[in-house]
Amino acid sequence: MKKRLGLVLLISLAFLLSFAPNLCAEVGVTDTEIHLGQWGPQTGPAAAWGNVARGTRDYFKWINDNGGIHGRKIVYHMFDDGYNPAKTKAGVKELQEGTGMFAWACGVGTSPGLAVRDYLAKKNIPWVGPAAGSMHWVDPPQNNLFAVYPLYYGEAKALIKYAIETMGKKRIAIAYLNDEYGKNGLRGALEELKAHGMKAVAQVSMENKDTDLKPHVMKLRQSKADLVLMWTGVGHSARIVGISKAMKFEPQFMSTSTTSDFPFMMHITKGLWEGVITGTLGELPDSGYPLLDKYKEEVFDKYAAKEERWGVFYYAGILFTEPMIEGLKKTGRDLTRENFINAMEQIKGFKGIGPEVNYKPFNKNDMYSRQGASQTFLVQCLAGGKAKKLTDWMSIK
Amino acid sequence: MIDLIQMIVNGVAVGSSYALMGLAMVIIYKTSEVPNFAQGEMALISSFFAMMLLTSFNMSLYLAFFLTFVFAVLLGFFLEFAILRRAKEPNILGMIVITIGIEMIILGFVSWKFGADQKTMPFPIGPYDSFIIGDIFVSKLEVLTLVAALLLMTTLYLFFRYSKLGLAMKATQQNSVAAQIVGVRTNRIMMMTWGISSLVGAVAGLLISPTIMQPFMMWDPMLKGFAAAVMGGMTSLPGVIVAAYMLGIIENLFGGYISIEFKTVVAFVIIVLVLCVKPSGLFARHYIKKV
Repeated sequence: MKKRLGLVLLISLAFLLSFAPNLCAEVGVTDTEIHLGQWGPQTGPAAAWGNVARGTRDYFKWINDNGGIHGRKIVYHMFDDGYNPAKTKAGVKELQEGTGMFAWACGVGTSPGLAVRDYLAKKNIPWVGPAAGSMHWVDPPQNNLFAVYPLYYGEAKALIKYAIETMGKKRIAIAYLNDEYGKNGLRGALEELKAHGMKAVAQVSMENKDTDLKPHVMKLRQSKADLVLMWTGVGHSARIVGISKAMKFEPQFMSTSTTSDFPFMMHITKGLWEGVITGTLGELPDSGYPLLDKYKEEVFDKYAAKEERWGVFYYAGILFTEPMIEGLKKTGRDLTRENFINAMEQIKGFKGIGPEVNYKPFNKNDMYSRQGASQTFLVQCLAGGKAKKLTDWMSIK
Repeated sequence: MIDLIQMIVNGVAVGSSYALMGLAMVIIYKTSEVPNFAQGEMALISSFFAMMLLTSFNMSLYLAFFLTFVFAVLLGFFLEFAILRRAKEPNILGMIVITIGIEMIILGFVSWKFGADQKTMPFPIGPYDSFIIGDIFVSKLEVLTLVAALLLMTTLYLFFRYSKLGLAMKATQQNSVAAQIVGVRTNRIMMMTWGISSLVGAVAGLLISPTIMQPFMMWDPMLKGFAAAVMGGMTSLPGVIVAAYMLGIIENLFGGYISIEFKTVVAFVIIVLVLCVKPSGLFARHYIKKV
């Protein structure tokens, strides 16, 4: 009887021990895999930025085919949220609580990101490189959230500063999308104007679903602005420029880095985007920057779908996740969320294809402990969608 | 003063696309009393079909548009014959739900097949080509849309008033049983109605496509067209046209003088007001069934 009981106990113990590594392991990490999630609008009003997620996907494939990270392959889970925050929230919860993600990469959009920010923060699930330059990621900073995208707020300041100090513009109007993305840009622009003792001659807001923008452009025209800063979506920006030109209202246009894919903007405006100045978030596609050329050759040419185009948004999907990969490499084989966050905090002076990235140990009073990049440079669209560099990388803190 | 005139011109310009979508909705409503919420997506798929012919098959514009109109009519026939006619014991609510289902299916199909990237359709008139008269600007494309809307409205008006088929359509709406008794093949009439409506919607879609093409491009025109149809009375062709232009002008004046932020909701406020104050619409004379 005793022998039998002993045998049962031994088998039970062996059975339990067989689960031990998994019981101790981090969610989304196995001996051979790291599960990373991402949302990205493949449909809906922000679908033009859908290639961010596709860029990340191809980058992760390239990493896997080059041996993975410390013996583990990345298992990438992407879903289409259609830029709808309700869908983002549902999708993230489903993947997190169903499959179990170790961390989240990128994720396009301020509003979709805001829908899951607190959920991820509460569970301390790492989230690296939201594909939006919102203040909401870092003000106040969150322990789990590492921002890469330079802040819209700072980018708007840099654009306005250039408009006033270098171009000598006196009458500046602002067109913005009436959401967090638009308001972040508006805030930066207004503060920079105030710093120069100026005010916006017009502030014109629009909704995501607005398609008739003639009344908005009339407001801008009435203001007699000599420069219009647009913090709107791709389609809206294209229409504002097009309608303005049709109305013979031709100020200098400036726009956010989200419209810096010049070949695409030239295509949808039928050439009217020429002359527009934008901020940018990474090296230019034709800059000859060695690492960018390497990605073009080894990631894009090899893994991208036939209809995919090598452009800013596509490789932004790589740019936003480079620091995450760096963090995973620094963490080593003992991959837990705590170790990963510690490793991310060690990243200093990291230079991929975007601005320099620096993090610090978490400090709730210092947003730059979690805002990795604080640089941009300004570019102007030339004929054929080429870009002219107007400034070097500059700090926008 | 210049601004006021410009706002009115802008209102008329944008009203044309509302008018076309409103017309398309009214045609179906006139025979079936069903508001077709798939109208926008039917126009959407026709527009993408034209884009495919132009870019993938390098067809000439005229041939591509002709084939698109044929496609649009066949699409309308198909949807009525294969889906709506199959509805068991159909009531109006059930039919509305079916049209919403069709809308979702077409939207999903277009996103999958053609992608969600923003595009523009090659067209001889650029989306921002314009006439400048004094200080007033008018887009050439919108002038074309205006002409198309007025032409279609006149043609349809004459068709419904004087052609045998048009009268049969009217009869089907007013009393389908009586129409059947006097030999009207109501099923066939319904199919024709869907075909014509789909064709009118396709015209609207094709005239929007040179400006922007993406899967959600017809939502706003469809909703505003629906608002115009409600305002005009759902069964009156001239009514929907007048209401569409009124809506465009009101929206623009509201945006210009009151609030640009709330311009978008004006159409929906109008729907609510009309339904509360004059549910039959501003211009419709409803046929009353006598027992």
